[in-house]
Amino acid sequence: MNVWSDEIAQADCEVLVIGGGTAGPMAAYKAKTKNPGARVVLLEKANVKRSGAICMGMDGLNNAVIPGHATPEQYTREITIANDGICDQAPVYKYAQRCFEIIQELDRFGIRFLKDETGDYDVKKVHHNGTYVLPMPNGDTVKKALYRQLRRAQVLISNRYMATRLLTGHDSRIAGAIAVNTRTAQFLVIRAKTVILCLGAAGRLGLPHSGYLFGTYENPANSGDGYAMAYHGGAALANLECFQINPLIKDYNGPACAYVAGPFGAYTANNEGRRFIECDYWSGQMMLEFYNELQSGKGPVFLKLDHLAGETIGEIENILHRVERPSRGRFHERRGTNYRERMVEMHVSEIGFCSGHSASGVFVDEFARTTVPGLYAAGDMANVPHNYMLGAFTNGAVAGEHAIDLAAQVDFAAFDDGDVTLERERVLAPTRREDGIPPNQIEYKTRRFVNDYLQPPKVTRKYRIAQERFGEIREDLEGAMVARDPHELLRALEASSILDCAEMAATASLFRTESRWGLYHYRVDHPERDDLNWRCHTILYKVDGVMACEKRAIAPYVVPVDDREQAAYRRQRIPQPA
Amino acid sequence: MTAFEEFGEVAAIARRLDEPDAGARRVAVLELAETADPDVIPFLATALADPSNEVRHQAARALGEFDGQEAAVALAGALVDPDPGVAVAAADSLAEFKDPTVADRLLPLVSHSNPFVRRSVFRALKALRRPEAAQAAIDAIGDRDPGVRTQAVGVLGYLKLQSAVPALVAAAQDSDVDVRKAAVGALGFSATLAAQDAIVMRLLDADWRVREVAVETAGKLGIVAGIPALVGLLDDEYWQVQVKATRSLGKLRAIDAALPIARTLADGSANLRKEAAAALGEIADATTLRTLKRYADDPDPDVRKNVRWAIGQIEARRQR
Amino acid sequence: MPLAHSPTTVPVLVDEAKCIADKGCTVCVDICPLDVLRISELTGKAYMKYDECWYCMPCETDCPTGAVTVNIPYLLR
Repeated sequence: MNVWSDEIAQADCEVLVIGGGTAGPMAAYKAKTKNPGARVVLLEKANVKRSGAICMGMDGLNNAVIPGHATPEQYTREITIANDGICDQAPVYKYAQRCFEIIQELDRFGIRFLKDETGDYDVKKVHHNGTYVLPMPNGDTVKKALYRQLRRAQVLISNRYMATRLLTGHDSRIAGAIAVNTRTAQFLVIRAKTVILCLGAAGRLGLPHSGYLFGTYENPANSGDGYAMAYHGGAALANLECFQINPLIKDYNGPACAYVAGPFGAYTANNEGRRFIECDYWSGQMMLEFYNELQSGKGPVFLKLDHLAGETIGEIENILHRVERPSRGRFHERRGTNYRERMVEMHVSEIGFCSGHSASGVFVDEFARTTVPGLYAAGDMANVPHNYMLGAFTNGAVAGEHAIDLAAQVDFAAFDDGDVTLERERVLAPTRREDGIPPNQIEYKTRRFVNDYLQPPKVTRKYRIAQERFGEIREDLEGAMVARDPHELLRALEASSILDCAEMAATASLFRTESRWGLYHYRVDHPERDDLNWRCHTILYKVDGVMACEKRAIAPYVVPVDDREQAAYRRQRIPQPA
Repeated sequence: MTAFEEFGEVAAIARRLDEPDAGARRVAVLELAETADPDVIPFLATALADPSNEVRHQAARALGEFDGQEAAVALAGALVDPDPGVAVAAADSLAEFKDPTVADRLLPLVSHSNPFVRRSVFRALKALRRPEAAQAAIDAIGDRDPGVRTQAVGVLGYLKLQSAVPALVAAAQDSDVDVRKAAVGALGFSATLAAQDAIVMRLLDADWRVREVAVETAGKLGIVAGIPALVGLLDDEYWQVQVKATRSLGKLRAIDAALPIARTLADGSANLRKEAAAALGEIADATTLRTLKRYADDPDPDVRKNVRWAIGQIEARRQR
Repeated sequence: MPLAHSPTTVPVLVDEAKCIADKGCTVCVDICPLDVLRISELTGKAYMKYDECWYCMPCETDCPTGAVTVNIPYLLR
């Protein structure tokens, strides 16, 4: 039986949104509702109904800037400080100004946020720095509600198509994208006047401690395809060395959600049941404290809830076992972990790229524009620090609105048909081999080396070895990888994205010869923070087929951050481990 | 072959609602909902009369994907379905609706003989925020069923009408804990004396969960008259109430509470010490400075941070 | 280099008595974010074909008949 389709489908549109998780649906919805006559296509590797980081919903917002509880200026200052000053404030400030309007819109879509008995948003205060936590008691309905809006707005939805490369015009504007169906291997060439990348984090980069390839912190469908595509499409990527590393439930590898349980009185504790985290911000600094505690005699680290009232724990279970990662309850049950009696063992996650939690992403300005004309990026893969889910929604909206306006002013960019032929050959190469190395083995090996050599603390010598190993794997990937059916082809293409991301992680980390962002970029050979030379972005891009890095100045701050505040934060720091 | 999502003809799918097999009818209901086309509502309404309770259940859930009066009327009918699962699904779906005109179809049901119907109707009316629902909700504060009373309180809280304050004050003295709890929270919009009195009275409620909400509401509204009772709650038998009382006193910047709060810095619960330090920072009364300094080396880092912050607040105020 | 077949226990179970895939239902197969479910040509029922699971649960939650159970993959339990 021939499982391969030879057909090439074609389509044209004003706005092509790639990725139907969080930012993507909002971008497509905003573009389409701003200009209902335009063709807006939403391309998704899985199914928009249940795709992306929030496929099972989300238990709350942790960066909601709601009038009366926080101000945009305050929020922008805190993000700047939490990200060690490496931050173009304009996109952060814009997010902070617009996110409340987006909350209200999501509310109208039928997504519920916690309200008190008078219908006011019940924002929780976690610490004195700011009040940003808004629980979502029925957050499991998020995707369903979004999907309903997309259907009503008549956005063209294309499920089970994986975009593989961007098409760039002769005038170096964006021209569209090439995609392949994950069940039939049918090719799809979409010409587009503007393209918005919303492909999520690179969450399948490090290997979880369990060794299970798909037991990642992030949704494993977020395999870094957006980072790879942006790179090959000529866009600049920023601060990739600022890895994502998160505190999580050991083995289960889902978030411990200390911030959900925190307002109820739960906290992260060491094996003596004591708090140990000094840092107020969820940041690399906090992760460094976490890592140090794990390494010290006071590990393991736990989420402590056993001191709470039974009713309170019931309430927490109701949230945590129903939304975002509901299988968590099943995991605890099997091990006999009852929150009332036992603390929950935690650990640090594998590494990844994700601006949603840290700052590693495609460089964008306050209109979500990348460095390629007509190409936008939003959500976890766009470099707006500590963006989280609400940032994805808000910046997705910004991108959609800007892209639809631009599309009205430009024509399709002309591109080389030869590019499509070449890409088709690249993509289908693993299917043309009789035998060879299956994608899962290529992937496992790449990710094991990521753990062995790239997981911080970062050691220069280890990074050089990693680069050699990645080079060897690339030879196998390009010359010997085999895919027997379209599903394996999907995994083969993901393995290619993963290897691209691993090489980007190594290159970017070696370029920044200082330590910054706590554990995220702790370089043993350069243990000090060096503001004189490195108070700047690092930019990674492809030039003549090769990976290159350069510095980029931080845009002047829109919201001044006074020295006293920076110093206060610095005082909380603990020394790097010896 | 198209690369885009397509849905079948509504009429063709709807014909499959007559299939002899219940499973096949159920699939047809799913597909109808998928279309997101309002034209399918009458068909889904028909499916609510299907002999199979599983098909009816599916239809009740499917109608929740739509909004508006037509779907609401169908769902309201299903509230009395002989299968309780179907009735609950219908109530859940109704509670999703946002179109305010849906209230016109629900209001006639507020005095339905079945308490489940009354409860579900008030629950759905809450988010619609139609002032026309106020009188019905006020009347329902006297309903025999505590669930109905709780939902009616919810309607009044969301409406934020001063005219409903007397009813809410009455509800705050209800015999049922959930009704009292909801009513105290619902009074959180009103600056009237009557509302404040009712909230202050609930600071002494027999049930800790009611006290907890009263404490929070007193903080939210800034009820100065509540300070003495709040200070008393610093010794509540439930630490959750103690924590919230401390926070509310901080919000109220209650100078009189500074010393009693400072005493709780010696408490065994780190959560409470942390809250105490934070509240002392907000009150910023210099007489607590010495006590705070004693706890600068508290074993708990969160407490230390808040103590440092509080000391900074007091010193900053002195310099001004 | 011939390929081997290594056995692995899959986390997602389908109760064939409850599954109505043979009546035309495709909900779980449609929505799985990792695309690891298929409908068996032999039985007409859904099953997990690839052990590539995030134990995220939409298949279980969205199944109209409650036929699907998601277990934690053995390596993580």
